[in-house]
Amino acid sequence: MSNLTQEQIKVLEQSRQRLVQLTRSLGSLIASLNQSDPLPPWTSLQSQASIISNNLISVSDQLSDQRDLLSNLVAYPGPEYPGRTQANTLEQLLRTKLDPRVEDWVARGRAAGTESTAGPSNFSSDSDAAHKPLSDAQLAELWEWAPLEANQEARRRNWGGNFTLEEREAGIENVVTGLRRQLQDDDGEEESEDEDGDGDGEEMDVVGVHRKPGAAEFEFNIATHHPHPVQPFVPLDLILRYMTTGRMP
Amino acid sequence: MHEQSLFASVPVHQHHELLQQLAGLTAMQPRHCLERRLIFKAYRKPGMAGRTGASQDLQQADLQRLNKMLNGNMYYTQVVGPVSESDFGSTAPVDGDTQMAGTDDSKPNVSSSSYDYERQPWKLEFRDIPEAGTRSAVTSRLMSSATLPRGDIVQAMNAWGYNFTTEYVVEGDMFIHNDIAIFLHRVLHYPGGDGSNLPRRQLPPLKDMTLFEKSGSYVLQAYIIVQDGSNQETMKTASQHLFGLREQLKSAVVLEQADRLSLDTRAK
Repeated sequence: MSNLTQEQIKVLEQSRQRLVQLTRSLGSLIASLNQSDPLPPWTSLQSQASIISNNLISVSDQLSDQRDLLSNLVAYPGPEYPGRTQANTLEQLLRTKLDPRVEDWVARGRAAGTESTAGPSNFSSDSDAAHKPLSDAQLAELWEWAPLEANQEARRRNWGGNFTLEEREAGIENVVTGLRRQLQDDDGEEESEDEDGDGDGEEMDVVGVHRKPGAAEFEFNIATHHPHPVQPFVPLDLILRYMTTGRMP
Repeated sequence: MHEQSLFASVPVHQHHELLQQLAGLTAMQPRHCLERRLIFKAYRKPGMAGRTGASQDLQQADLQRLNKMLNGNMYYTQVVGPVSESDFGSTAPVDGDTQMAGTDDSKPNVSSSSYDYERQPWKLEFRDIPEAGTRSAVTSRLMSSATLPRGDIVQAMNAWGYNFTTEYVVEGDMFIHNDIAIFLHRVLHYPGGDGSNLPRRQLPPLKDMTLFEKSGSYVLQAYIIVQDGSNQETMKTASQHLFGLREQLKSAVVLEQADRLSLDTRAK
């Protein structure tokens, strides 16, 4: 094959431009993920992702459009290339086999592509099983498991109020709710109202009692956290002393 | 009789939960108790009564030995009377403030409760100072109780060598778990302080009673009364039962031996 025509050089130049754009937008996404704290708003992430995806599409179009030309091109070093001193760079440039990591990515992408066309019943023993759609049996199993598990998780909590205890302990200002309106932390007020009324329980506290397997006795689950812990002011000793002798501490 | 007990301090916010837990554990509803407790202090040693004159040396030595035998210590002792909520006076809404002054005896406009001091039953409760240096980690003390005549008890107690010191009210809930009595209680003061040196003949409204422990915390006492304190076997069984209860309640409250000196009933 003789020298490239002007047309062909232009095609190569276009491909290079598009690849440069792609690497640039990828780089900016990585930088914004790494550097900005807190994370950039999802709208900006979304727009960056769509830019990258557009870049990818244009690169992919370009490559497939010029497939004939690109697959026929052969690169070789010119006679004026300093082959002795720049051997490493030369090898990098002329390497045709993919990097092993990249090869993995490509294999994964190919597998995902063939699978999505072959349908969900395809059970290839791919290492990346987590991204495959579930089979009907697996779905049924998940639906059987999930409500019980969610219920158990829910029972572990004392419901009411907008924040969990952990969140409140860490300070509710720091909670990222993702909501525009302000949530009221009204839990504390309710509790104190209840105490004012000295009500012996319009509100039943749920206290868990359960048997340990193998143990004969009941175990009590006592809530270790109380919203308003009031420790006694007078120690037990002094109370007992007063009860015994009537002398004020 | 011996009483073996373990104590725990229960913060007020835990009280409601603990009541439920105890109700579940003992499979019974709490029995609410209100008790008047009068504290009497001995003012003369038992055995010295009526001994005048007779200053001969020999008799003096005899007397000393006799005194030692009769346990020369003087003790605080309690007179306990069960009361009910209806025994406490109710305040008419208009003169609620005057009632707060606590001089209920002199206020004719306080609506009279059905409380009749002359019919009040009493029980004498004697507790010795807890035994020192016992190997087991429960508070063990000699105790005795006796039913007293109803009504005014002060004269009789004076005759036995006891002076009225003070009185307070204990409110609480009682549970029975096998052989263990569990009493979750706290001390209430009469409003207006200790003005009189005689037991009250009328009771103020219950809601005017003030808490001794301002935060409203409770004392949990779990105890077993052993008829024959000299029988090591039964004493050991009793303390083991208490330890069993302590294990069961471990995650809720920590039952412990009380400080011996805080239960010192000796009058100095």
